[in-house]
Amino acid sequence: MMMDKEVLLEVKNIHKAFGKNKVHQGVSFTLHKGESLGLLGGSGTGKSVLLRSIIGLERIDQGQIIFKGERIDQLPENKLTPYRIRISYSFQSGALFDSINVFENIAYPLFEHTKFSYAQIKDKVCEMLKLIDLQGKEDLMPSDLSGGMQKRVGMARAMILNPEIVLYDEPTAGLDPSNTLNVVSLMQKLKEKGLASIFVTHDIPSAIMLCDRIIVLHEGKIIFNDTPHNFQNSEDPIVRKFILSSKDEL
Amino acid sequence: MINAVINRFIKTGERARQFFIFVGEITSLFVETIKCSFSRPFYFSRLMEQINHIGYGSTSITVVIGLTMGLVMTLNFGYGLAKFGGTLYVPAVVSLSLAREMAPLFTSLLVAGRVGSGIAAEIGAMNVTQQVDAIRALGTSPVRVLVIPRFWALVISLPLLSALSFAVGILGGMLVCRMEFDIVPGFYLYKVFSTVKFHDYMSGLVKSSIFAGIITIFACYKGLNTKDGTKGVGVTTTWVVVTASILILITDFFISKIFLVIW
Repeated sequence: MMMDKEVLLEVKNIHKAFGKNKVHQGVSFTLHKGESLGLLGGSGTGKSVLLRSIIGLERIDQGQIIFKGERIDQLPENKLTPYRIRISYSFQSGALFDSINVFENIAYPLFEHTKFSYAQIKDKVCEMLKLIDLQGKEDLMPSDLSGGMQKRVGMARAMILNPEIVLYDEPTAGLDPSNTLNVVSLMQKLKEKGLASIFVTHDIPSAIMLCDRIIVLHEGKIIFNDTPHNFQNSEDPIVRKFILSSKDEL
Repeated sequence: MINAVINRFIKTGERARQFFIFVGEITSLFVETIKCSFSRPFYFSRLMEQINHIGYGSTSITVVIGLTMGLVMTLNFGYGLAKFGGTLYVPAVVSLSLAREMAPLFTSLLVAGRVGSGIAAEIGAMNVTQQVDAIRALGTSPVRVLVIPRFWALVISLPLLSALSFAVGILGGMLVCRMEFDIVPGFYLYKVFSTVKFHDYMSGLVKSSIFAGIITIFACYKGLNTKDGTKGVGVTTTWVVVTASILILITDFFISKIFLVIW
């Protein structure tokens, strides 16, 4: 069904190496409008590097990254701004600016890229705080927030400009079950709004719950790209091993 | 034997390559800073914030260094020149040294320690906690957001701090002249203002601006390239203070030479 929808993002045969360490060796996939893609794989398989490459924080060595028909992997830093507004990145650590408060963190993209008045910005931030269930916390500094709260504020900041794609980098990593649930339900709400996303995670239950399709990276290549249902029933030994090892961790 | 020579040659070549890359990146950051300074968006509030933090925040330490320089130099020149009956030349010598050399140089060295390390540590910490990546990911430029406000704040502030250091140094010298050598303040000030010409003041101010550029570009460059977590931040901070100080001293000689030729 997703295949009928507009293709937002195409990743074509990308290669990336850090010195002799070949992280990606011909990774290709597409992301459709409104689709949630789970990106799984062991540690060090280049999941985060893939997200960083999509948004231009890392340069790929070979291949193409195409957003709505426009090739973006070769654009210089200053030409990437319009795409970084439409494709947002939610960092694993939240990456909040620690010298400014929650309100200023969430409002940062609005101050930078829109001509909204202060009152309009305040309204939008309040709306976003309500969505992430952190009303009344706008004056707190990032250091006053728990890890889960920081992640949610980071997600709110990534979401405030209404992007078309959100790249989540391990949003549930290191969180307790209650905070994980908060983050996952926030992602669910955003998905219901029609937002396409790529969700890098080790948290298989959350990926199965949220994603329309699951990709497994292994040794720089995609070894699985199918529905969560088929992922759970996969006979591929590496996928099975990955599922079982994740169960062991739980 | 031949292998050892080849290896040494390769290592030297690699070091030379790294050095040229470093020079290229520093130059590129400087050019980008200047280029972006004259195109939108402008961050005036951040500039003002940095002027307050970097400039106003350094006034007390500048007053201390200026006063100390004035007192010590006057005392030493006074006793030195007294041996040759040249006490009356003390105001001229002290004021000229302060205006052309000592005030800009010592203020810059002190600011390199205080502000250079602060900038490097702040940006370095932002880099290792992915805040610099977040600035880029949110469609903004770290050069515009972090480098330009700090660069211009110090380029504006350091000459003013040097001028303050000079003024306080002159006051310190006046105090010592009055108390130790019986030179009255009126004569002292007359000698100061008749000796130090416009180009002497300008020499000090221009030097300070160049030193400010060196401090901020090196501090920002190293901060933006900090790796290895908190350990990396410590290494960056030390590197910036040492490198900026050495470069200030070396540059000072060449600028002094150029100014002596043109003025």
